[in-house]
Amino acid sequence: MNGVVDLPGQRLETLRAEVRAASWFAALGEPLTEGDCVDAAAYSAALGLGTIEIGQARDWPDAECLLKSPDWTPAWWDREEALRRALLAEAEAHYPERALWSSLTELTTEAGDLVHGKAATAAARMGRAAAASIHVAAGAASQAVYHLALARLAEQPASPFESKFRLYSAGRWPLGILGSRLVLF
Amino acid sequence: MTDIVVKTVEELKDAPAEYREAVSKLVISHAINELYGAQVFDEPAIAYAPTPYAKWLTCRVAMEEYGHHVRFKQLGVQMGIPEERMVPGAGKKPLSIFAFPLKTWEEFVAIKLLADLAEILQVEDLLHCTFHPLRNLARATMPEERFHAQFGEDFSAELVKTPEGKARLQAAVNEYYPYLPSFFGGSKSKNNEIFRKWKIKQRTNDEMRQDYVRRATEVAAKYGLTLPEIRQAA
Repeated sequence: MNGVVDLPGQRLETLRAEVRAASWFAALGEPLTEGDCVDAAAYSAALGLGTIEIGQARDWPDAECLLKSPDWTPAWWDREEALRRALLAEAEAHYPERALWSSLTELTTEAGDLVHGKAATAAARMGRAAAASIHVAAGAASQAVYHLALARLAEQPASPFESKFRLYSAGRWPLGILGSRLVLF
Repeated sequence: MTDIVVKTVEELKDAPAEYREAVSKLVISHAINELYGAQVFDEPAIAYAPTPYAKWLTCRVAMEEYGHHVRFKQLGVQMGIPEERMVPGAGKKPLSIFAFPLKTWEEFVAIKLLADLAEILQVEDLLHCTFHPLRNLARATMPEERFHAQFGEDFSAELVKTPEGKARLQAAVNEYYPYLPSFFGGSKSKNNEIFRKWKIKQRTNDEMRQDYVRRATEVAAKYGLTLPEIRQAA
């Protein structure tokens, strides 16, 4: 933190532009690239999960099945949640409460509408997606925007939320850790 | 009845004071209650959701509820209502249901099944509102509210597949449902009389309450659930 308190909305303008420019869900079902694997490994390492095998969901029904599996590993979710709380506490200490809250709410509302449309487009293009899954994808993506906003406000460039957002920005949907694999769609 | 149509926020300035005040009350009420709902129920429910699928779906629901607050607040700001009157702590008493913080996933499913149905009725009543910016906002909100109620139905269908799940869901319905009919306000509400006088709203509180009880009974029965006795409205 540099000690300068400005309005969080101004600090989030760069992120807002990145959100608009991202290729949300455009690469679902496509073969993984080296860049995808690098970002996935960076995400896993930054989250403290070490080196982990990268898996891939083939299509929407496959992704839905994986996300509904009772065998999912909660460690990654819990670590993200602990990190979110720490970043939020840091942001709350640095910015006026109402300005911070309004900025984050307006950002995620705007991002939510955008990614919902992108998820619907991807689902229509690929077919066989359950209607609720479009909402799930939009929820995941807008949560990633919210997480990254907190990391940016806390000036944490090595945060796992940076690498996770890069995956979304490249058109992927990181589905989380299922069994021993970090699964991307 | 008094015939008036206000097509823009700009035109609202020329409307009678009683009309302006009535519209402001509704916008403030929706802005505050959407925010309370998101803060007290939707956001905490993410932690209780059993799978990533349910967690992200709940994230989306929470963000949509926050989004409703943002949209009502934006309309209020355009109308000249100070922002601090449209957030909790501004002196407007929240609905009693918000005094019971969420404790389980089943409670959240029951709330989506039954409380969001009550929200649907409230928004339905604004679909023909004579203040068109509010009418248009109601129309934009309605598909999302319907989705939230469907969320309640989908997860109710999952829970009732096992006797244990059904018992937990029934217990949650028993706990929350008695507070919901009062969501529609008192039988002799002066505010409601003014809303109907100006055709801002269409139905009496009692008409809406009766319709709600009928529809809630139907939707509960679809999943083999029963509704407990309700308290009399104030």
